[in-house]
Amino acid sequence: MEPALIEWREDFRIGLPEVDQEHRELIDAINRLHRELVVGASIGRVTGALGDIHAAISSHFALEEKDMQALHYAEFEAHKREHERLLDEILDIIDDVTASGSYDPQVLSSRLADWFTGHFRTFDARLHRWLAARH
Amino acid sequence: MSLRGLLRVPFDGLDRFCARAFPPAWNPMAQLGAIGWFLFWIVTVSGIYLYVFFDTGVAGTWRSIEAITHDQWWAGGVMRSLHRYASDAMVVMVLVHLSREWAMDRMRGNHWFAWATGVPLILFIYVCGITGYWLVWDARAQYVAVASAQLLDALPIFGEPIGRNFLDQASVSDRFFTLMVYLHIAAPLLMLLFMWIHIARHARAKVAPARGLGAVILLTLTALSLAWPALSEPPADLDRMPEAVPLDWFYLGAYPVMEKWGAAAVWLGLAGLFALLWLLPWLPPRRTPPAAKVDLGNCNGCARCFADCPFGAISLAPRSDGRSYEQEAVVHPEQCMACGICVGSCPTATPMRSAPDFVAGIELPDRLLAALRREVQAAASGLAGDDRVIVFACEHGAAADAAGGNAARIALPCVGMLPPPFMDWILSRGLADGVMLAGCAAGDCHFRLGDRWTAERIAGQRDPWLRERVPRERIGVSWAARGDRGQREADLAAFRARLPALPAMARGEKRERAPARPFARRAWPKPLQWGAWAGVFGALAFGTGALASWPDLRLLQPDEAVISLSLRHAAHTRVECQPLTPEELMKLKPNMRRQVGCPRQRWPVYVELLRDGFVLYQGQHQPAGLWNDGPSTVLERIVVPAGRQALTVRLRDSGREQGFDHERRIEADLAPAQNFVIEFRGGQWSLRP
Ligand code: HEM
Ligand code: SF4
Ligand code: SF4
Ligand SMILES: [Fe+2]
Ligand SMILES: [Fe+2]
Repeated sequence: MEPALIEWREDFRIGLPEVDQEHRELIDAINRLHRELVVGASIGRVTGALGDIHAAISSHFALEEKDMQALHYAEFEAHKREHERLLDEILDIIDDVTASGSYDPQVLSSRLADWFTGHFRTFDARLHRWLAARH
Repeated sequence: MSLRGLLRVPFDGLDRFCARAFPPAWNPMAQLGAIGWFLFWIVTVSGIYLYVFFDTGVAGTWRSIEAITHDQWWAGGVMRSLHRYASDAMVVMVLVHLSREWAMDRMRGNHWFAWATGVPLILFIYVCGITGYWLVWDARAQYVAVASAQLLDALPIFGEPIGRNFLDQASVSDRFFTLMVYLHIAAPLLMLLFMWIHIARHARAKVAPARGLGAVILLTLTALSLAWPALSEPPADLDRMPEAVPLDWFYLGAYPVMEKWGAAAVWLGLAGLFALLWLLPWLPPRRTPPAAKVDLGNCNGCARCFADCPFGAISLAPRSDGRSYEQEAVVHPEQCMACGICVGSCPTATPMRSAPDFVAGIELPDRLLAALRREVQAAASGLAGDDRVIVFACEHGAAADAAGGNAARIALPCVGMLPPPFMDWILSRGLADGVMLAGCAAGDCHFRLGDRWTAERIAGQRDPWLRERVPRERIGVSWAARGDRGQREADLAAFRARLPALPAMARGEKRERAPARPFARRAWPKPLQWGAWAGVFGALAFGTGALASWPDLRLLQPDEAVISLSLRHAAHTRVECQPLTPEELMKLKPNMRRQVGCPRQRWPVYVELLRDGFVLYQGQHQPAGLWNDGPSTVLERIVVPAGRQALTVRLRDSGREQGFDHERRIEADLAPAQNFVIEFRGGQWSLRP
């Protein structure tokens, strides 16, 4: 079987159970899509799966933002702006696939992985450190 | 046409007028309740000022108010006038506010709460106003006291007629006056409590008008106060009856009705009116669309719907389904108006989702998003060209069906229901060249906050943001009141005209995150707007000032006087005390056995008043009490020509068929406007003065 696109790592955990749980589920969803991409799923299936990921990420960001605000997270504004930028980007990815009517599994997968883990490694990690430092 | 339909006609006209004459933020029609709160504070502040200088004893009160009015006309006088005129304006506001809510049908179903808690506010306002006129203790206050007593005494509540407190100057006491002072302070406090309850179910209720509008109102009232200060009548003198009193028709309008048709007519009218008002929300046809529903499988408790619901119908509760989330959204169906604004806020509400029958975290059972997506697709397939428009229109603003041609209209309960991803999806998938949102007048959303949230979501100031990549020129946001079709048609035409000239939508292109480009408001030219302002506020001020003390209520002709006939007298018992027979004694309980039986029932008192041999008044008065064992009471005011006259007053208080038990002949010479008191007291007739 194709190896997972994104491996869950302990440092993806930020310390808020409901957020961490969603991080896991999102990684699972992207890995599932990756397995479909490599076997050449139809355009409709791919854009549909991306649409579902868009919805899941939207509500994930909403939840993370609610928690950040409740905790009075100092870098909330910047983090929120980054969320909004990412949401713009995934829609662009969907549009690209829809418009061209085809996709290169390798390119699309790595674009998704970068898009996703990039935010983990930077903004969410900073939130993690801030939360840890609070105690 | 229904009554409500009829009521709508003037309000549609008013809305159109306001749209032309006022900037949207200053539209008084959209903030009547807030104006009411503002007036309440004006009345409160001016009232506190007056109270500082007010003498609360019946003897000194008139003089103290004269001093406030004249010695410091520039402060106390203005405060007094503000106190009066702002109170009058409150009556006007309530009348318009109530009729408008009725016309808009905002009292049915779950809207009942604000309506039902508004009705008692009317009562409180009137208690405040009537006790207020009482406290001046001038001739008008005297009339208010006497007439209010007459109204209250017509109700079978008070054992002793209240009117006896105002029989003549000698009857007046501080005790009753102090009660009025307390009522005049307690009623507004209760009213404030009810005002607060009234809006308790409104998230972010608008309780302050736009600052500029508030300033205009305060200035208008101040100008009115200076031009037409509130003044007292001569001091109260209960030994005379004022010939005429200037009435405040806003507060005292029921009194002339009583003079003409009697107290019973007033009470019946009021009871009918209040019963109707109270029942209105529950009268058919009843419309209660099903409440929003949360789908826990799609809800992570992000709280966006909670933040956006205009009616506080959503709360966040601890998670109930065992998933790792902390909270979930809970809808309280008895508070939900089915506006759908929560649907527009939920991050899972996006048409990009794959399932044909996807559900969002929160949805309206009558307007599911999956069906909405199909409807949009169907509508889009019927459009062609480069000015294809999909219009999302609410049911409460100006009709948008004039769209025609290359535009398809899709109905929503509120434009605030449309999740921003739908706009993105329609434009990015090329389903249309433009998306138009057609709602109520700006600042006057039927569901209170739908217009505001929509504009803020598009501008990226409120979650969920409309994506940055969506070209704002292709989003048309049209706010127009139901009666303002002209604005709507102009907006649609302008929108469609600009679409073909716009650059093609380039993928991945980033733009400013910005509000939708506004349409030109079809306002009048500035000078005309200023004229309309001056006209409206001038007319309101003039009308308020005029009706606050004009026209007079005429009580007597110049050559008339009044006879007040008063008695409170226990007639003889119907059966004299008699020794009981042995059989009767045996029937009684042992501890009740007495030698003499005294049935307690009394005869009625029959009274006549004759003037120069003609009957002026006659009446039979039943004894009070459950067993008819109490006194009979009479309190009558009879208007007679002034001058010399022979009066005869007599009464029968026993079982006799003919003749009278107490009779008195009086040679009286009544001065015009005199209040001549004939009272039966301690077994004989007495006269005052
Ligand atoms: C002192 C008198 C009153 C004041 C100060 C007052 C004030 C208000 C305010 C501030 C609002 C909320 C506006 C908003 O933010 O959307 C409101 C709404 C409303 N009021 Fe009043 N009001 C008064 C009397 C009345 C009366 C007498 C009635 C009807 C009998 C009434 C019926 C309503 C209704 C039906 C609503 C709208 C409820 C809804 O949207 O569901 N009000 N009022
Ligand atoms: S439909 Fe409207 S009133 Fe009902 S819960 Fe949603 S936002 Fe609140
Ligand atoms: S907006 Fe949607 S996801 Fe968020 S709490 Fe409300 S129903 Fe749940
Ligand atoms: Fe995250
Ligand atoms: Fe994040």
